[in-house]
Amino acid sequence: MKQKIVINIGRQFGSGGRIIGEKLSTLMNIPFFDKELILIASQESGLGKEFFENFDEKSSHSIFGGLFGLRGAFSDEIAPNNYLNNETLFKIQSDVIRDLAEKQSCIFVGRCADYVLKDHPHCLNLFVSADIDDRIKRIAEKENLPENKAKELIEKTDKKRASYYNYYSNKVWGAASSYHLCINSSFLGIDESVTFIKEFAEKRFGK
Amino acid sequence: MDQKGSAMALGTENVWKLLLQYAIPSVIAMTASSLYNIIDSIFIGQGVGALAISGLAITFPLMNLGAAFGSLVGVGAATLMSLRLGQKDYSTANNILGNVFVLNLIFGIAYSAVVLLFLDPILIFFGASADTLPYAHEYMFVILLGNVVTHLFLGLNAMLRATGNPQKSMIATILSVVINVALAPIFIYSFGWGISGAALATVIAQTVMLLWQIKLFSNKQHFIHLQKGIFKLKRKIVTDSLSIGLAPFLMNAVSCVIVIVVNRSLIKYGGDLDVGAYGIVNRVAFLFVMIVMGLTQGMQPIVGYNFGAKQIDRVNKALKYTIILASVVMTLGFLISQLLPHIVASIFTKDNTLIDLAVTGLRIVFLAFPIIGVQMVTGNFFQSIAKPNKAIFISLSRQLLFLLPGLLILPPLLGTNGVWYSFPVADLLSSIIAITMLVKHYRKSNLY
Repeated sequence: MKQKIVINIGRQFGSGGRIIGEKLSTLMNIPFFDKELILIASQESGLGKEFFENFDEKSSHSIFGGLFGLRGAFSDEIAPNNYLNNETLFKIQSDVIRDLAEKQSCIFVGRCADYVLKDHPHCLNLFVSADIDDRIKRIAEKENLPENKAKELIEKTDKKRASYYNYYSNKVWGAASSYHLCINSSFLGIDESVTFIKEFAEKRFGK
Repeated sequence: MDQKGSAMALGTENVWKLLLQYAIPSVIAMTASSLYNIIDSIFIGQGVGALAISGLAITFPLMNLGAAFGSLVGVGAATLMSLRLGQKDYSTANNILGNVFVLNLIFGIAYSAVVLLFLDPILIFFGASADTLPYAHEYMFVILLGNVVTHLFLGLNAMLRATGNPQKSMIATILSVVINVALAPIFIYSFGWGISGAALATVIAQTVMLLWQIKLFSNKQHFIHLQKGIFKLKRKIVTDSLSIGLAPFLMNAVSCVIVIVVNRSLIKYGGDLDVGAYGIVNRVAFLFVMIVMGLTQGMQPIVGYNFGAKQIDRVNKALKYTIILASVVMTLGFLISQLLPHIVASIFTKDNTLIDLAVTGLRIVFLAFPIIGVQMVTGNFFQSIAKPNKAIFISLSRQLLFLLPGLLILPPLLGTNGVWYSFPVADLLSSIIAITMLVKHYRKSNLY
């Protein structure tokens, strides 16, 4: 591909979204970023990576999180100073995403990258789902859990991701209107899905 | 990236210097509002009378609650606004501005309407007597008519901060205080409008600043300005804003409940002038509390950053220095309350009975002040190292665990002194808890 493109992958937990991302990366020779984003954000900002890890893909505002920071009607004059809040971390991370996308083609997994890059001219926003049984099997194996625990973890993680995405982006997680292509990885299997996605991208962006 | 610059400074600059740099603006902002309250009380106490200042004291929870509703929208929306601006999502950001406007209008009018409808029963429930009710009613009536203005003013101030104009929002706050202070004596003394004159001064001051804010937001050159189409309420914006703002709102509500319980107790076991005395004590205490709150807000970014960067010696320094500063401030308050209470009380009123009661109140309520500084700083410390539950617990322990039960148990035994003593007892006990938690934290993490 002559021009720089970005592929953003939203995914259900256990759907193989990350694996698809990695395979696409190898196949199309485009750098792939998942948790690496955290390291880069940490380096760029000078803030420890624990900050970014703690806030990674989790919903932002529990009732208690905001409770203490602000007191009284006039006291929130100082709020801007408290810049270790989640919104600032999100901004730092988004700036990293934007910088990377400007320099090169990229594949991003999660982290509202599709929303962050909404003004980028050559984006493909993908959502990967899978049949629940496949997801349970995958997670049970990967995390070494019995199947019922895997299912619980899946529901919990999906919920976290959804509230993270719904809060920070202006769109709805997993809804067709938020993406260019929604694909169920169980339908064709991982490898065929990767090929399919590559062809889909090439139809738009050229080879 | 200047974000990186300021972040780096947090990790390397001299800690004292950082603390002053962050704390001073905070302290100014926090004390501005408390100063305004003090000055208003002085004008009313001196210009109208002892019963008037007691009537005013009855209205404190209503006013605080009104302002709290006003911030409910603004605080959350400001967070969202920063978020969207950070993503250059200007259309949503403008929508947020419009929604803030509309929501504040709705909440403001609704609050006014409901409270006005039941004003006297509410005031009586809050502790008004036949003598203080007319004053409280007169004051609240004007305030409630202008409540919409207060809400809009607070909301737009939050928007000013979120759009990168914190200086303008501070100017707006300070000027509103200045105008208020300038108009109040004219209305009370020259025009003889009594307590409603004080209220009118407040409303006019806020209206003037609101007009300025609207003018600022009408500048078409800016990305974010008032325009057609942004006023349609969007469910996501409303629910996100309210859920963020709910937390500080609840904390505020708890404080209001405390004041209501105090006033009711004082009326029951004492009289109107005891309520007025608490009004004075409260206002003075609040000033010192706000200074310390400003200090702890200044400490937050320093502790937060260095904790994440694992520079624990700097964390400890920041904590130590803040505790020292806070304790100095609170001890100063303590000394003033023990050595000069008469002078302090006389600033607010000429009535000798009221002065004596206020002196009693000041002496007792401020008793545990030298140690409560530690409690306040510790609470914010846990907040800064991302342990908000501990922070909440420390704060609520004082209010709900000790103060409220104290206020219910002690007055039947000790009369009005029971009310006064509840405060230092609660302060002391919650400080013990805070110190224990701090020591435990350090023992556990071996971070000496």
